[in-house]
Amino acid sequence: MVRLTIDGSEVEVPEGTTILKAAEAAGIRIPTLCYHKRLPPIESCNMCIVEIEGETEPVNSCAAPVSEGLVVTTNSKALHEQRTANLKKILKHHPLDCPICDRAGECELQDIVYELGIRDVPYEPRKIKRDDTYSTTLIRYWADRCILCRRCVTACQDLKQIGALSIEGEEENARIVVDPDKCKACGECLMVCPTGALTENLSRYKGRPWLVKKVQTTCSYCGCGCQLELNVLDNRVIGVTTNVDAGVNQGSLCVKGRFGYEFIGDENRLKKPLIKENGVFREASWDEALDLVAEKFKAIRDEHGPNAIAGLTSAKCTNEENFLFQKFMRAVIGTNNVDHCARL
Amino acid sequence: MAESKKMYLNMGPHHPATHGVLRIELELEGETIVNATPRIGYLHRGIEKIAENRNYQQVIPLTDRLDYASASANNMGYCVTVEKLMGIEVPKRAQYLRVIMAELARIMGHHLWIGTHALDIGAMSVVFYAFRDREMIMNINEEISGYRLTPTFFRIGGVAHDATPKFIEMVRDFVKWFPKGLGGYHKLLTENKIWTTRTMDIGTISAEEAVNYGLTGPSLRGSGVAYDLRKAFPYSSYDDFDFQIPVGDKGDVYDRYLVRMEEFSQSLKIIDQAIENLPEGPVTVDDPWISNPDLEEVQKDISALIRRFMIHVKGPVAPEAEVYHAVEGAKGELGFYLVGDGSEHPYRLKIRSPCFYLASALPRLMIGHMVADAIAIIGSIDVVLGEIDR
Repeated sequence: MVRLTIDGSEVEVPEGTTILKAAEAAGIRIPTLCYHKRLPPIESCNMCIVEIEGETEPVNSCAAPVSEGLVVTTNSKALHEQRTANLKKILKHHPLDCPICDRAGECELQDIVYELGIRDVPYEPRKIKRDDTYSTTLIRYWADRCILCRRCVTACQDLKQIGALSIEGEEENARIVVDPDKCKACGECLMVCPTGALTENLSRYKGRPWLVKKVQTTCSYCGCGCQLELNVLDNRVIGVTTNVDAGVNQGSLCVKGRFGYEFIGDENRLKKPLIKENGVFREASWDEALDLVAEKFKAIRDEHGPNAIAGLTSAKCTNEENFLFQKFMRAVIGTNNVDHCARL
Repeated sequence: MAESKKMYLNMGPHHPATHGVLRIELELEGETIVNATPRIGYLHRGIEKIAENRNYQQVIPLTDRLDYASASANNMGYCVTVEKLMGIEVPKRAQYLRVIMAELARIMGHHLWIGTHALDIGAMSVVFYAFRDREMIMNINEEISGYRLTPTFFRIGGVAHDATPKFIEMVRDFVKWFPKGLGGYHKLLTENKIWTTRTMDIGTISAEEAVNYGLTGPSLRGSGVAYDLRKAFPYSSYDDFDFQIPVGDKGDVYDRYLVRMEEFSQSLKIIDQAIENLPEGPVTVDDPWISNPDLEEVQKDISALIRRFMIHVKGPVAPEAEVYHAVEGAKGELGFYLVGDGSEHPYRLKIRSPCFYLASALPRLMIGHMVADAIAIIGSIDVVLGEIDR
């Protein structure tokens, strides 16, 4: 264990802990922007700088490890001025998009600008073109909003072991480039992006974050049991977000979990049972439909035996519905012929 | 043998003379009131509860709708309380503009009072003259904010924007005209034999009893107690101005009438001093977390756009503390008890409404009088149900 002093309070942490994590243990908050809980330190924003006694230059606390007897200051006039200067370097190129940006309201850039109380940053547009071609139509890339924090590049490489993203271009006009052959459209980059540079293309402009209700649930597509949050507005699901602390997936999802929610409110879904008569479907009441199905199943089972009937259910049903389904097949019809699309 | 039998008469809530949806259950013996029970709650909108789910700036329009006859005075009370909780100092120019709006609101509230009070008693002409002059103030409200009745011009840390030259001109015109209008109301009522007969020695309450009932404002001052929060605990630069507190003698309806009539002139005096000595300077505190960047700046500067967005969506955060502050509203001591919990929503906002105590004193004022006097008494205490019911 290593003992060090942060802002006057003593704290003891295991060796190898970064100063940022040690400060968190002491209950002290250091502003960060490119740092993400699940990623290794990226050190592209220089927001988390702290002063160390005996050193002339401030260090990035997200990467610097603790050492015995260190004396750290996390906030001072000089630090605040330098953080402000570092942030202004990013900010001055950021387009004035907040009213039309999907991320506004849960944007980490907005949060840190408000937290530091930044003022006087006139807009200097970059040469970069805003074009939304990405490797998939599910995600939209706004190159001029990108602050080049490199979280997406790191996430794709370190979290998903795919490495489809890279940076191209020089200093101020750099942009993210995607390898369309490697990209699996899993949305990991979308999840870690702190600004509105990467936005979801399915639910664009549908709802502001503070109006939306987030309901935590389990993804029904496969047996992994990833936790996700359905974003609900006006009783309709308009998007999926994740909480980095929840469940086995810790915020990561695959393409089905992240983008496969549109079927829930699709207008092509049946609202009434349909019975086929003379090759044509007609509407029926639930009573009529259920009576017909029960009558026919009974007839088939009595004549040909229970194994003449098989059941195939879907990942688009909830786990509870699937449980009832297999119970029905096994206990009521009396057959083991039950399968699920996840096994295909 | 004549047997006296009690009759129960229900007055309100739909009634032209109850100044809102006030319901009073009267127990009469003949024409005399032996008991009166006010019933309130017909205008309850849950303002205090709604405030718990709004950030501090979003509560300001809710406060407008308390005493809706004099809306800006409520804004003053709330904003001053929040600023006390958060430790914000409002610049001088904003304070003077606030005083002008609050005093104009007081005059507006008194216009409604004189018009409806006289109308209930039978003097129909007064309401037309009062509302003619009230219209001038509504035009001033519209000039500064776009709204006639509930301007919501105040913000945490100052006011929404600077006064326009037209605003200053309109206020000056009003200050010049209004003494003539006020003289007109005096001519119609003050020495009118019918008026004095109907209002003198009606609804008398002594100073000690008035204090015990928790009455404040003109109703308290009519009984002889010179208590006005603008002098007792000055806020928002009221101690810069020279004005007097009119005080009554007997505490009857007529005295309360005279107190309010004189308050018209005193408020006008304050407005005159404020508009002539309006200091230069900013109209909102110079704080990046509170002062709202203006729309010009927002179109050129990303940090202004972000701050404007965050101030509207999130807003300033209050410390974990509780504070009570009261101002002199048009009806009396309007107090706000605010509990902050470290977030951008109030944990609890309790509003001490002056009209609540005035309405609770109605039985004491009415018992022993006749039904017709009950109307005069309700008019004289000048209740507005928006404030009682919240």
